[in-house]
Amino acid sequence: MMAAVTGLAPSATVRKGLPYWAESYWAMTRWHLIGLRMWLGLLVVVQIMAGAGFVLGIALFFDRIPVTAALFVSTGVPVINLVLVGLILGPQLVAEQKVQQSYDFVRSMPVPRAPAAAAWYTVCLLAGLPAVAVSLVIAQARYGFSFSPSPAIVPAVLLTAFTGTMIGYGLGHAVPNPMVTQLVTQLLVFVIFGFTPILFPAWQLPHWLAVVNWWFPFGHMAVIVRAGLTTGMVTGIASSYLIVAVWGIIGAAASAWALGRRG
Amino acid sequence: MGEPGSWQVSMAVSIAARQAGESVTDWSFRAEGVTKIYGKSLRANDAITLSVRPGEVYGLLGPNGAGKTTLVKQVIGLLKPTEGRIRLGPVDLVADPDAARQLCSYLPQAPMPIDSFKVREAIELTGRIRGGDRAAVRRRASELIEALDMGEWADVMGQRLSGGIKRLVGFSMVTVWPGRVVILDEPTNDVDPLRRRLLWDQIRLLGQWGCAVFLVTHNVMEAEKSVDRLAIISAGRLIAEGTPSSLKAGDRGHLRLQVMLVPDAETPPLPPWVRQHVRVGHNLITTIDEADAAGGIGWAAGLIDCGQAEEYALGATTLEDVYVRLTGHTSVDEE
Repeated sequence: MMAAVTGLAPSATVRKGLPYWAESYWAMTRWHLIGLRMWLGLLVVVQIMAGAGFVLGIALFFDRIPVTAALFVSTGVPVINLVLVGLILGPQLVAEQKVQQSYDFVRSMPVPRAPAAAAWYTVCLLAGLPAVAVSLVIAQARYGFSFSPSPAIVPAVLLTAFTGTMIGYGLGHAVPNPMVTQLVTQLLVFVIFGFTPILFPAWQLPHWLAVVNWWFPFGHMAVIVRAGLTTGMVTGIASSYLIVAVWGIIGAAASAWALGRRG
Repeated sequence: MGEPGSWQVSMAVSIAARQAGESVTDWSFRAEGVTKIYGKSLRANDAITLSVRPGEVYGLLGPNGAGKTTLVKQVIGLLKPTEGRIRLGPVDLVADPDAARQLCSYLPQAPMPIDSFKVREAIELTGRIRGGDRAAVRRRASELIEALDMGEWADVMGQRLSGGIKRLVGFSMVTVWPGRVVILDEPTNDVDPLRRRLLWDQIRLLGQWGCAVFLVTHNVMEAEKSVDRLAIISAGRLIAEGTPSSLKAGDRGHLRLQVMLVPDAETPPLPPWVRQHVRVGHNLITTIDEADAAGGIGWAAGLIDCGQAEEYALGATTLEDVYVRLTGHTSVDEE
């Protein structure tokens, strides 16, 4: 039975370089997709329902919904869709691995950290994109908007998902106690929906809260996505890109530090 | 990813080198003075030095909390030693944790995260992640599934598997494309006796292929039959090392007299000829000289007669007795 493989010897080479990274990226993307296979379909549906729910539900607060409110919600919902999986679900999954003690096996897999993170980013992006598209279509149908996406929507979407995913990745890996991770993600949901200028303009916040928000990435994610979907609606796009990117880098650095840490 | 049959290539290279009389890399594993201190003073590992040759199955035995898992986590690069060196052939595993993860395969004691993976899928994908060629990994996965008698579950998802089969899948995942060092932390947990035997065959096969296999266990009886050499670790220190026979040599001429006391009974006074004893739950395990066998039987029977004990057993000493003597634990009380 073993005849076919006798004579095999364990590898003596340590793989390095681009092919190793590329192979690790594809393998880890498959690993995550299979790991989520029972949930991914449901996740996309829930995301679509959440997006549609926000876009349509906001109108119920008003007798006649102001155009600005409808426009802000419709262009803010894609941000929620883009960050929900990476920022909220991602760290919760890592926390669960820590609780179930399978985290050691995952950390012992021979894959470089960067392609592994890139694979997870890809999966989070894929899980968010369908809902983004559906939310925008529903917004156009309901409110009669005609969005004019510019090429800038591509970097805006990629960067928003990247930063959301990396902050979540950092949270999951760098916070040692999984209970704390769970609590922080719950808090983030609450803060993002209620107190960050994603679905409404920043000027409607109390001044101090608007100032605080300026230093965080979530409102800026909405700015850059809006800038890619509309014309003349937002200003300060360059600084928003910068702040979102810096937070993405902070998240990635925290993850790299946490994954490289050896107790 | 390796070329088709990169193992064969590396093997062929080393064989060719040997034939040409060239020096061949020695892929022995060496830990020297490995010390791991948590916080200020908790010494989880204390100056552990050991070496394992390619092809050896090496047991790491010790009670829970002895520091076995801490040691192997330093090998695989999940923890960093406070002091000491860990090398695999020419590679410094402490300095290069990326190389450590590639050159070592690790089956942790905890369950694998494979609920939504089909068995074959989980094995093949980890083989690919470990750098195996697609066709070779597929072939080897099929062989493992067959060899471990998992055929009927090959296309079943992890969440529907029993604990024992999950354990075998975990073993297959880490050994489908094994590293030079294979670390197996309690690999036979939950595995049924029949498949346990099949699993041991596969572990031996890894040795034959030139892997250095670390077997972390507290099941002394199983280890006695399966390992080439072993180390006993207690309270972070390596307190004995050798082949099972060499470790037992010190107990030659001795017998094990085990007395099961009635529940809650105090340990009775011991006759002077009892060489050593340990109390585990209701069991009083003693070591006596062969010459004292008759006296021992009389003493144990007397305890039963006066209602202090329920039964006794007299037998040859085993590795378990060595383990008990050195650690003050039986392997059973760790289950």
